[in-house]
Amino acid sequence: VQPPEKPLQAEEWNRLRESFQSPEIFEEVMFNSMVRCNSPIDVAKSLLTHVAKSNGDIAYNLLVKYLALCVKQGQTSEIRDVYDIMKIRFRILESGAYNLLIRGLSNSDQWRMALTLLEEVKKIMIPSRTNYESCIKAASRHQEMNLAFELYHEMLAKDLVPTLDVLQAFFDFSRGMKGAELQKELFGILLYLRDNQIYPHKTFMRSIKLWFESIPGGNWRGHLTSIKDSGQCPVCNHQLEDSDLTEEEYNNLRERIIRDVIHGTDTFRKTSPQEFEAFQTFVENRFPFDIVIDGLNVSHIKPRKMQCENLFDAVNCLAKENARLLVLGRKHMLVNSSNWKREIMKEMQNKADFFFAENISEDDAFLLYATLRSGKHCKFVTRDFLRDHKACLSDSLTRHLFRKWQRGHQISKKMFLSLFIQQPALCYDCVVQTTGDTWHIPYKDTFEEKYSYRVPRKWLCIQQK
Amino acid sequence: MQSANVLLKKIVRCSVLPFATQHGMKKNLFPLSRTLSLSLCLKQDNSCNPSEKLDLDGWKKVMKSGLKEVSETVSERKELSTLAAAREILEMWRLAGRSVPENISEEQLKIFMECPSKSAKKKYLKYLHLKELYKKNDKRKMDEKRERRLETASKTDETRRNSFVCLWANCMDRAYSWRVAQSMIFGQPLVFDMSYEKDMSIREVANTVRQIVLSESCNRRSVDPFHIHFCNFKDDSLYHKEFIKHYREAWGKLLITVTDQCYTDVFPKDKLIYLTADSPKVMKTFDHDKIYIVGSMVDRSIKTGVSLAQAKRLGLETAALPLEKYLLWNTGAKNLTLDQMMHILLTLKDTGDWKKALEFVPKRKYCGFVSKPVHELKKTLNLINTLKLGKRQEEVRKQFPKNYSKRLIQK
Repeated sequence: VQPPEKPLQAEEWNRLRESFQSPEIFEEVMFNSMVRCNSPIDVAKSLLTHVAKSNGDIAYNLLVKYLALCVKQGQTSEIRDVYDIMKIRFRILESGAYNLLIRGLSNSDQWRMALTLLEEVKKIMIPSRTNYESCIKAASRHQEMNLAFELYHEMLAKDLVPTLDVLQAFFDFSRGMKGAELQKELFGILLYLRDNQIYPHKTFMRSIKLWFESIPGGNWRGHLTSIKDSGQCPVCNHQLEDSDLTEEEYNNLRERIIRDVIHGTDTFRKTSPQEFEAFQTFVENRFPFDIVIDGLNVSHIKPRKMQCENLFDAVNCLAKENARLLVLGRKHMLVNSSNWKREIMKEMQNKADFFFAENISEDDAFLLYATLRSGKHCKFVTRDFLRDHKACLSDSLTRHLFRKWQRGHQISKKMFLSLFIQQPALCYDCVVQTTGDTWHIPYKDTFEEKYSYRVPRKWLCIQQK
Repeated sequence: MQSANVLLKKIVRCSVLPFATQHGMKKNLFPLSRTLSLSLCLKQDNSCNPSEKLDLDGWKKVMKSGLKEVSETVSERKELSTLAAAREILEMWRLAGRSVPENISEEQLKIFMECPSKSAKKKYLKYLHLKELYKKNDKRKMDEKRERRLETASKTDETRRNSFVCLWANCMDRAYSWRVAQSMIFGQPLVFDMSYEKDMSIREVANTVRQIVLSESCNRRSVDPFHIHFCNFKDDSLYHKEFIKHYREAWGKLLITVTDQCYTDVFPKDKLIYLTADSPKVMKTFDHDKIYIVGSMVDRSIKTGVSLAQAKRLGLETAALPLEKYLLWNTGAKNLTLDQMMHILLTLKDTGDWKKALEFVPKRKYCGFVSKPVHELKKTLNLINTLKLGKRQEEVRKQFPKNYSKRLIQK
């Protein structure tokens, strides 16, 4: 239905209602379309008056919809009135109304009222992250940075993930402000980005840059750049952190892979205890390897070629530099068939170590284990993103470690004119990093980057003169 | 005319309310009941003539007037327990138009509060809401049916003379029991493996039991029933509790074998075949000498390899139904419900006809039945497409794997 353009009299509303096909939900539908079309508030009021006079009461959902319309148009006094009415009328409100109230009030000069509402919400449930977002933005807009940070920490303590918008607001509104405490908090946000491997988008990056350059007496200068493959920053010649894990992280990751990915809830789901033990002794006897190859994955690179030929090419290509290779496969590869020729398999076994798992076992888990066991220099070859294995890891910290390690150690190959072009694993770590007088911040070009596995190539280099 | 209507409504409401309170209805139960005394706004109504000028804030007056009384009662109320508070939030959500059940029991409320996340809570509420709707609809239909029956009964009372009809159900029951009892001595065993309780949520266990109850009943009605075994069945497990909920006192009289032993202790290992969708082996024919095991598990989250792991651990032979061989699979997981499995196995046992047996696979999951081997079918499909589409054959070939398993194409 099309909402009317001017306020209507009761009779006119009645007439409209009668002509509507299902009069019971007429008001609801009408309000919905008013919100959608952003009708003048007076029209909504006239309908409310009509409802109130004929029923003696207005249902909660209509009030909420009216509230939504008021919030959309920033009618602060109306929001207050609706809140007062709701407050006397109902003992508590539900989250939808609170969301609207907080959003509406935080954008007005009565933003402190939003804070008291937030306290009210806390009594009955955990506020949503958008609730916090509105309040934090309101506080920082009015230069109450301490209050904003207090709310921010409270939000983090409740395991809510702040939106990039909130984080950006902190940088936007602290521009040009002095204070060691404030500076520490903002550095804290940058470290939060680092810990959670979040990359700011372009506008956010610009806010960070402007804030740095606006610190009074800070002498910070920011430059946009891209890092060389060697991991050196072309602006300040600083060498970025390498992608290696620390000894402790490395051992931690290896143990978690064995525990969560290989064993999981039931060792039999991916392999069997006997097989895993056999594999472990196999690796112990022959490690360290330089490159571990997922045989089946590599063998499917060129669909027109025989599978064992694909693998043969890969092994030949990688065996050149005297590297110690391990190829993981399944037992069916040993059976002479149209895709797996025995002679070629024999020849390959001279050049690399092979381990054949049972046909119903998962070889990827073995790939991870063998690579991690061989040490930091060892890389692995597969086109698989290993997302399912990452998902088996139980906490996000280990998952981040896994992604970092994967970035540094996975070689994925692209076929290009029958030659293997190696996509080298990145040798530097792609996270926000600092040395105290320099900051290096990777950023995304657009707000919505499609692929989570892709790391940004553009960087913001900030240095103190 | 209209104002007279309004008046009438108000008078009715005012007279109902004291009646309700007199009879001890708790105010807590309906905090939103329209307990407005409207005498005040009645006066206002008369004072301002609506036809003269539109009073846009009139609704506020109406909402605020008479609310003083309500607000007093609000402040009187003491702090509520968390359960009552949750109940109140639910009530507000219901008013806001979310899918929330109208009535919720104490037990359900507790489950609701224990949900770990907001979305889990939402999902649970929606489930309760739908359940309530179904129940209401069923009840309405039952009532309508009863009314209709009463009408017809009063008309055709004298025609019912045949007392034979009344015994029919009872007789059938006895005949069925006789057959199942025979199968318990001579019949082929079929094992339900009840060791997956730890892999399921409470709701999944309830679903599992429901499916087993259905399979048991269709087994009982079949011409040549299986001898059903529940193995690894622990007393006082969740399974047990759910079964008692369904069967009540009939649980003790069921003609099945329930044991806490593993099937490997009851039957010789070489005769056992574990049926699981993850099995690499495909069942070719139904073997009357083997003992098939079905895992009693509903996995909504598709935990791959759980039952295959169990079979691997015990070193048992496994098999999967030849779904891909006989059906052009469309969508959905290849794991079937337990009652569908039972229907399929019973049909196979009686006829050995795969086409007939696989009729019980839900129709939405497949496009059609394959009588020829798949690669031949693919050839003809390609041929048809080439004739029809000419050049676009390449594209068609690329799209084919989307609808069809890669494994089969490679063969």
